[in-house]
Amino acid sequence: MNTRLKLDAISKRYGGDKNSITALQDISFTLTEGEFLAIQGPSGSGKSTLLNICGLIDNPSDGDYYLNGISVAQLSISERCTYRRRDIGFIFQRHQLIPAMTVYENIAYPLLLNGVQPKQIKHDVNQLLNTMGLEHRRKHLPKQLSGGERQRVGVARALIKRPQLVIADEPSASLDHQHAHAGLQLMRELNKQYGASFLIASHDAFVIDHCDRKIELLDGQLKASP
Amino acid sequence: MNWLLIAMRNILRDATRVTSTLLIIAVGLAALLVGNGFMLSTYDSLQEIAMRTEGHVIIIDDNPDPVLGGSHQQLTLSNWQATQEMLWADERVLRVLPRARFEGMISKGNKSAVFFGSGVDPKEEFRVHGPFLRTSGLLDPWLTPQDTPDIMLGKQLAQTLGAVTGDLLTLQTKRSDGTSSELVVRLAGLYYTGTPEIDNHTLMTSLTTATTLLDSNNISQLSIYLNQREDSIAIQQLLQEQLEGVTVQTWQQRAELYHKVRSLYDRIFGIMGLIILIVVFLAVSNTIALAIYQRREEIATLSALGTKPVRIYTNFILEACLIGIAATTIGMLLAYAISNAVNLAELMMPAPPGKTEGYPIFIYISWPHYFITSAVLIITVVVASFIATRNATRVSIVKALS
Repeated sequence: MNTRLKLDAISKRYGGDKNSITALQDISFTLTEGEFLAIQGPSGSGKSTLLNICGLIDNPSDGDYYLNGISVAQLSISERCTYRRRDIGFIFQRHQLIPAMTVYENIAYPLLLNGVQPKQIKHDVNQLLNTMGLEHRRKHLPKQLSGGERQRVGVARALIKRPQLVIADEPSASLDHQHAHAGLQLMRELNKQYGASFLIASHDAFVIDHCDRKIELLDGQLKASP
Repeated sequence: MNWLLIAMRNILRDATRVTSTLLIIAVGLAALLVGNGFMLSTYDSLQEIAMRTEGHVIIIDDNPDPVLGGSHQQLTLSNWQATQEMLWADERVLRVLPRARFEGMISKGNKSAVFFGSGVDPKEEFRVHGPFLRTSGLLDPWLTPQDTPDIMLGKQLAQTLGAVTGDLLTLQTKRSDGTSSELVVRLAGLYYTGTPEIDNHTLMTSLTTATTLLDSNNISQLSIYLNQREDSIAIQQLLQEQLEGVTVQTWQQRAELYHKVRSLYDRIFGIMGLIILIVVFLAVSNTIALAIYQRREEIATLSALGTKPVRIYTNFILEACLIGIAATTIGMLLAYAISNAVNLAELMMPAPPGKTEGYPIFIYISWPHYFITSAVLIITVVVASFIATRNATRVSIVKALS
């Protein structure tokens, strides 16, 4: 298996030299193509910070980060934006659907950003709506959906562009067990179908058990080596 | 992806604040348009007064009278009949009116007053002045050759003298050769302009009577009235080339009051417009800034998905444009309704300084002005939203989503 992501001694500090707070310290691990990796840890352990760095939303203070063998740790804002648009899918804790967009528009949006032709967008979105059982909700706004449906739309939005890496932050946090289970099953199915690597931060044992591998963070440090 | 529809949905999400912004812009625009309509109507009235009083083109002889130089009396324009005939042949010319100005003393019994008189073509003179020179107590026929020559007095001058229509009065003046002249005249009627300076001191008589009194065929000015005011400059240039020893002016060169009022109103309404633009700018900036604050999670999500800042800018500017277009449409309709209501109500303005009478308020509805002003306002809205949306790209994705 090819290495999709490699973190090499990544650290993240906030604030000035004297009063700096270390959020992550010396984090190194790899994620292979198609792998489902869970990041486990209590609140404040640095899971979200790590996901932000892996998702190119934030820059590390030290260390290097490779995506498909290319160093991406210190890219410009514009370059990070391009990587996020093209290669990374996000599943947010609170789904973060765009309130003014319908289900169809929310899912189609990443394709639009990548300049996919309208005909292709229509085909891909319709197919995914069918797969996810959301066809009847295509014209609905996010506020008209249930929590589970919102999560499914969020997953669909993350996967529609067939990203190489999917970052999922507490994907089951706002869901009951039944919906969380269904959501996870869906991610696994799409993981098999699209071959994306998943990096999932969670303290839900059910989610962690369903991952291929797990790493544990405690006070910004990696507790168990991968 | 229908961005327009998405912008509409975003606007409707925050309907209360958007409505207040929309009303601020609409009311501001309506105030500007109504003010502008009043200003245009005033300019038009003043232009009309200036043209009707002086003519579209005026021929004068600037050389001072050798004896009476510097006074109101200026009878230096000779051989004007040839010019008048030449002008009658021009199809652009509607009327050519000679005017002889003179001054002196008018008496009735033991009451006397200084006057400034004009020898005119009576019927044509009152015709060209139209509603700006009103008459009362007219004898019929008036100002036409009679055994006793007729005059008309300014209303207040007649009151000063205690004269009524039909009374005999004595005019005394000084001729250009320095000799005195006296003539008994009959008061044929009164006129009033609403300007005390004119109504207190002026009189009119026929040019024939003035010629007899002054013993001169010269006049002070030849006023030319045209079918189209737009021909004024062409006629002025033509006459200036053809006639020697005289000055030819357009009505604009002599419309001092019009230029003064226009300058004043331009400043007043300019400042008012600027204030309204600032209010609109601040209202829109505030609305967009609050929208950005409320929607920072959404902005962060869009950024996280890889949306370029320019797309985020565009979304907010599109929303501002829609608010601007809706507000200016409401503002134009509001201004249209207010203007029509005021025009129908026939409201009167109080008398301005130097006048004894008010005048009816009339508000012009000028669609080109409506659209230009609305366009300026929409541009202001777009600029305000553009400046405010700069903050949108400063939203930290990490902080907004945490």
